[in-house]
Amino acid sequence: MVDENKLREKAKEVIARDDVRRLIGWKRGTYGFESAPIVLTDASEVDQLIFDPTCVQNPASFVSLEEKLPVPRGQEPDTRKVAVLVKGCDSRAIVQQLVEKAYDRDKIVVLGVPCTGVVDRRKAQKMFGVTSAPVEIKEEGDKYVLTIDGETKEAPKKELVADKCLRCRFPNPLVYDELVWDEVAKWADDDFADVDEFEKMSPEEKWKFWDEQFSKCIRCYSCRNVCPMCYCVECVVQKLKPQWTRRSTDISENSVYHIQRAWHLSGRCIECGECERVCPVDIPITKLNRKMTRDVMAMFEYEPGVDVEAEPLLACYNPQDPEEYIM
Amino acid sequence: MGDYKFAKDKLAEVIGALKDYQVFAPTAVGDVVRFKEVEDASAIKLDYANSNVPPKELMFPETETLFKYRVGGADIESAVTEPKPRLVFGIRPCDALAYTIVDKLYNWDFPDPYYQERRDGSVLFGMACAEPAANCFCTSMGGGPASEKGLDALMFDLGETVYVKTLTDKGDKAAKAMGLDAAGDAEKKAAEAVEKDALAKIKRSLDTEGIPEKLPSLYDHPFWEQFSDRCLSCGICTFLCPTCHCFDIQDEQEGFDGRRARMWDTCMFSEYTVHTSGHNPRPTRKERTRNRISHKYSYFPEKFDVIACVGCGRCINYCPVNIDILDILEKSKQAEVKEAKA
Repeated sequence: MVDENKLREKAKEVIARDDVRRLIGWKRGTYGFESAPIVLTDASEVDQLIFDPTCVQNPASFVSLEEKLPVPRGQEPDTRKVAVLVKGCDSRAIVQQLVEKAYDRDKIVVLGVPCTGVVDRRKAQKMFGVTSAPVEIKEEGDKYVLTIDGETKEAPKKELVADKCLRCRFPNPLVYDELVWDEVAKWADDDFADVDEFEKMSPEEKWKFWDEQFSKCIRCYSCRNVCPMCYCVECVVQKLKPQWTRRSTDISENSVYHIQRAWHLSGRCIECGECERVCPVDIPITKLNRKMTRDVMAMFEYEPGVDVEAEPLLACYNPQDPEEYIM
Repeated sequence: MGDYKFAKDKLAEVIGALKDYQVFAPTAVGDVVRFKEVEDASAIKLDYANSNVPPKELMFPETETLFKYRVGGADIESAVTEPKPRLVFGIRPCDALAYTIVDKLYNWDFPDPYYQERRDGSVLFGMACAEPAANCFCTSMGGGPASEKGLDALMFDLGETVYVKTLTDKGDKAAKAMGLDAAGDAEKKAAEAVEKDALAKIKRSLDTEGIPEKLPSLYDHPFWEQFSDRCLSCGICTFLCPTCHCFDIQDEQEGFDGRRARMWDTCMFSEYTVHTSGHNPRPTRKERTRNRISHKYSYFPEKFDVIACVGCGRCINYCPVNIDILDILEKSKQAEVKEAKA
């Protein structure tokens, strides 16, 4: 299945097209278990592309991150397409962005990358430490074979794989123009046991938990900026008139930020887990989003990012919608 | 100055003896290490590579009140206080070196009283690194695992005992207050061995020769885009940098009570430079990435004769998209000036 040559061939064909201006994928990182997103503009650069279990980032995030400068008078804007490589989970972001009409379907070329799981850097670093040289990881059945500083090491896949992969329901992209290799079999399911477990806590315990977590927040906004669904041109926390959230970091303002973000993503979060991965102070952000996801599923039988024909949850109304939570 | 030692299992007593000081030390919440005021010495964590959040927050807090006011009133109430002397226990040599760099800025045209009060009132007890991390490159930036720069005392973890070498009168006074035993040649020798081992573990390096002079000539060079294309424009690299020192100022009011506060700001946010007119001189992540690197490695040394980087590796360790400052600087050396637009 994983064949980087195939991936590079397909990417080369796409980036060479006259109607494509950039292609977003992954490349090898500079140290340890890192990979890095890469934006290509020329077919000569495709040799840098990789796909292996370190390719955890969601390239769909980078579609909306591009900042365009005003076009000088007399010049035409570059309206060529953006091509993007996506894993199954990443593709849900594309679906949801299309549902929300963030851009038109004919403005992007989606190359689907069926995926059998990516590595959680934190877990890998705990097991093997961090090396200054990049680590190579290959999947062999239910284990990973790692080349660390020239030495070969092994680890069971289930111990290194990201939590989101342990409950992955969409290993194959849900939207694509072309798949770079054959679809893979689904190997996991999601029962939201983690949400059930968390809900067993009393309100006081939950508050204590979040108080400790939100107190750590330094408001770097990496969770927001990496989020493929946080693509507002001006985020509500930036607004000054009126100022909904103060710039000061304290438990009150930090909580407002995180709770606000969880609400703004309800019925929209596609669970790529990037927010939690990037947090420099280990705040388990997806716990909030998963609670919203499960409630939205239970109450509205709605799941974001799976159907390009769907209407956005908060933009549609059904007379049968439950309203117990409305006083 | 003096040579002292204490047994590691006596840490609580050593810290407890510092009655006249407010003691700060690294503590952990989960895997996240951060400097906090010590309430219970058992919470001190000394076996870590470097704290997630640098101890710059002890001198330059994330958010601090500058003064308070009442709406309609004519007076302000200053928030500059003279705190109890502080002792920062277990700070890494790179973070202490960073203070000496930030001092230049906060003492430049106008001495910043908030920062200065804390700096002057602090005694720094450094802890030499025995296990530098993968992305440490302090030895390239004028520091080292046992660098004494900016410290009042340097400690070495020798297993069961800690060797304390005092470097200033302030440090010696605090060491005496701790009630430490005298150390001898055995400890000094062991400390040298710790330093030698640590030096051998630093794998990354940078030759900074020529970089400050070259960067301005690469202002419009396309090589920045290799990095800025994937930049998230988040605050990780700057907020977690021990030498980044920018802040925003905001007035916050509740009813008639108000305060003017300052909080960390970062040149990586687009709103950092946005003008009232809406014009932004750094409109994309290319200009912001270029500014972060150029400020550290060119503008700051031009003004203050020192590169504003100590090689702690945090911006590399925590960047979610692997933007590696050493990679950028190496590429900047290879970049051909003629490719830059005139």
